[in-house]
Amino acid sequence: MRLSLGARVDRMLRPVHRWIWSDADRRVRKLLAFAEVEGDGGRDIIRAAEVTPDPLLRRLYLAHAIDELHHSDLFRDRGAALLQAHHARTGGAPASNVLPGGHGLDDLCVEDEPDEKLLAFLHIAEKSAAGRFAIYREVVDDDPPTKAIFEEILRDEVFHMNYAYKQLTRVSPKKYRRYVWWARASRLWKRYLRLAAVVAGLFGRILLTLQYFILLPPFAWFAKRAERREGLGWIPVRRDRRQSPTSQY
Amino acid sequence: MKILGISAHYHDSAAALVVDGLPVCAVQEERLSRHKNDAGFPISAVEWCLEHAGIAPADLDAVVFYERSMLKFERILTCALRTFPRSWRSFPNAMKSSLGEKVWVRGIIASYLGVPKKKILFTGHHEAHAAAAFLTAPTRKAAILTADGVGEWASLTAGHGDRRTDGTTDITLLREIRYPHSLGMLYSTFTAYLGFAVNEDEYKVMGLAAYGRPTMVDRVRKLIRRTPDGAFALDMEYFDYYTTAARSYSAKFVELFGRPRQQYEPIDFDTPDGRRFADCAASVQRVLEDTLVDLTRALHEETRLSDLCLGGGVALNGVANARILAESGFARVFVPSAPGDAGCALGAALYADRLYFGNPDRDVPYHPFWGPTVDAQELARAAREDGQTVEELDETSLMERTADALAAGRIVGWMDGASEFGPRALGHRSILAAPHSREMRDRLNRDIKFREEFRPFAPVTPIESADQYFELPPGGAGLGRFMSGVFPVRPEWRDRLAGITHVDGSARLQTLERGMAPRLHALLEMYGRRTGIPVLLNTSFNVAGEPIVNRAVEGYLTFRRCGIDAVVAGPFFVTKNASRKATTLQEGMA
Repeated sequence: MRLSLGARVDRMLRPVHRWIWSDADRRVRKLLAFAEVEGDGGRDIIRAAEVTPDPLLRRLYLAHAIDELHHSDLFRDRGAALLQAHHARTGGAPASNVLPGGHGLDDLCVEDEPDEKLLAFLHIAEKSAAGRFAIYREVVDDDPPTKAIFEEILRDEVFHMNYAYKQLTRVSPKKYRRYVWWARASRLWKRYLRLAAVVAGLFGRILLTLQYFILLPPFAWFAKRAERREGLGWIPVRRDRRQSPTSQY
Repeated sequence: MKILGISAHYHDSAAALVVDGLPVCAVQEERLSRHKNDAGFPISAVEWCLEHAGIAPADLDAVVFYERSMLKFERILTCALRTFPRSWRSFPNAMKSSLGEKVWVRGIIASYLGVPKKKILFTGHHEAHAAAAFLTAPTRKAAILTADGVGEWASLTAGHGDRRTDGTTDITLLREIRYPHSLGMLYSTFTAYLGFAVNEDEYKVMGLAAYGRPTMVDRVRKLIRRTPDGAFALDMEYFDYYTTAARSYSAKFVELFGRPRQQYEPIDFDTPDGRRFADCAASVQRVLEDTLVDLTRALHEETRLSDLCLGGGVALNGVANARILAESGFARVFVPSAPGDAGCALGAALYADRLYFGNPDRDVPYHPFWGPTVDAQELARAAREDGQTVEELDETSLMERTADALAAGRIVGWMDGASEFGPRALGHRSILAAPHSREMRDRLNRDIKFREEFRPFAPVTPIESADQYFELPPGGAGLGRFMSGVFPVRPEWRDRLAGITHVDGSARLQTLERGMAPRLHALLEMYGRRTGIPVLLNTSFNVAGEPIVNRAVEGYLTFRRCGIDAVVAGPFFVTKNASRKATTLQEGMA
């Protein structure tokens, strides 16, 4: 398997991955997060099966989705088992938000994409995932059950990568290379957008936090004073409330 | 007059269209986008509604949003100020979320639909709940109680509605309880504490409660105390949702109830922790019921009306609804098929029609089937393309074939007509099975729904037979129309209805009138003739984490990837072809 640029960078970052996976808590979080991502991915591919007009692709997408949902179960079960073991050792200290939500880095927009674009995207995404899971498999040497899961999933990801490419050449025999390049570029662009959104979000957060501490204190004083004067229990509803259908207040 | 109602931006976004005073269609966005609890602007739902009715956005007389977004923003900002400086972490997110999209809803609607801004109207959140509950119910005069997590400021309202003989309509909300004091938030806090997803898994707490004993009622009552005027107030020392979106309960809450359950921690009733979690659920359930019974009893004494309409997400609590019916003094209790925020889309449109525009009152058809219609040919086509066994049968043969399959212990996916509006599958997008054994319940939980063992399944039975198998109080059959009440299974039938009898001997019953879903009614009768018991297990046609299926192909693919044995739509009965091997990805590489 030829490694993508991202996978080569990942390989260079192997010590960082090893450090991340060495901690039990982080390992649990990663596994449970993967469960979410694989589950979401599986559901997206089921959606692709629902909307494709091509019967063969529908069957293949379904088989692919079943794999992804199975991966999700594997990750979830292993994460839960480690969580239980970790809890038994440490006596608790549960995090309130163990699981990040979202669709991971590889968001699919199934509804708007023709099969060619989707297959190219799947090929690229599966290739990237295979590269990364190969590294994870190596850095969890101390944990054979987790390593076995990565091995199983890695085999599936290679299959997914190859079937997607083969089908792409079938549905678009003349333009399939262009679609693959387009998928690569699109993936990079999405990563840029995601990074830009994170940076913008960070700036926004800093500015809003500054405003919170600089501008809000006097208003907070008034708000607290007003709250103290409020009674508890029933509050009569103002009769004029319905008289302003165009008002957002 | 054509009025489009929209609910969006919190959870369960939806659209509904009312034409000349009657609903034409209504659908949740999640059914079309296939993202569970989709909270985004319901553009697919809006487009489907307009297309279904054959009208363009320019033909709309009004678009009504289900809450006053600036008032809601005022509440969010005020709460941030009141909890200064503890709210510093949540403040940026709250502002970004509100200012990034939610407060500009008028502009968003105008830009999506291209309608002039003057056509965009707003109702109060709880007014929309009240309208959804009252204006869709077969009553002319009723008390109204709405309760949810929070709308703009209100979390619970009490009032009454009147559909007068002169055609005018009145909905008056007399008083409200305001955030942060909220029955919905109290229940959601326990939902989070018990390791379930807030705004989604509250019904799991209700199911879990049956396994426990309410041994912690006194502790729960420390969290919620009654005020002298008959309302309630939460002790905010026990809650964190007021200051942060990251956690609902405080350290003091954990001190009182012990270690919270983690999301993936199994609930084992043989362990002390498992029993404690069940007891917690039973205790908060008991307190919720007691509080609602007190509130509705007071409302009955005040209004002296015989009917009560319940709205808001709390009205999904069937155990509480049954107690309200039995103990509040109201003779009839109505809960719409979509009492939660999705239903507000329909409520807002009806509210604007009757109260803003003063249009004459009309009886709204009392059924939940306002969504897209299933295309049976799509099922047959997909199944044939995949080499599955497709039988095309006349109506009688189809019923016989399906009843035979069910009686033989097969599990059947059942799609018929327009999909339900609301969270319950009420016979048009259902998985049906024989209700007689626990093994069936366990098989459904394990192989099809992929969910926790303690979750019960609901029965459906013709309304004429309901009383024979279930202990229904007066008015109980009405509450069962949309599966809104939980009632005891008659003790003599519990062994033969073990698949739908919960651990406490109860069941969340659907009572089916022939006119509401004639095909399912006929199937129940046919099944009754074969087995002697015209009761079926009825659960939503989906797997865990996914919305209920909408299109035939969605039902078909759900059937293909789980343990459902057959799927029915229109005249087609589809089964898996045992001789055909499943497609593998190796074939895709050939």
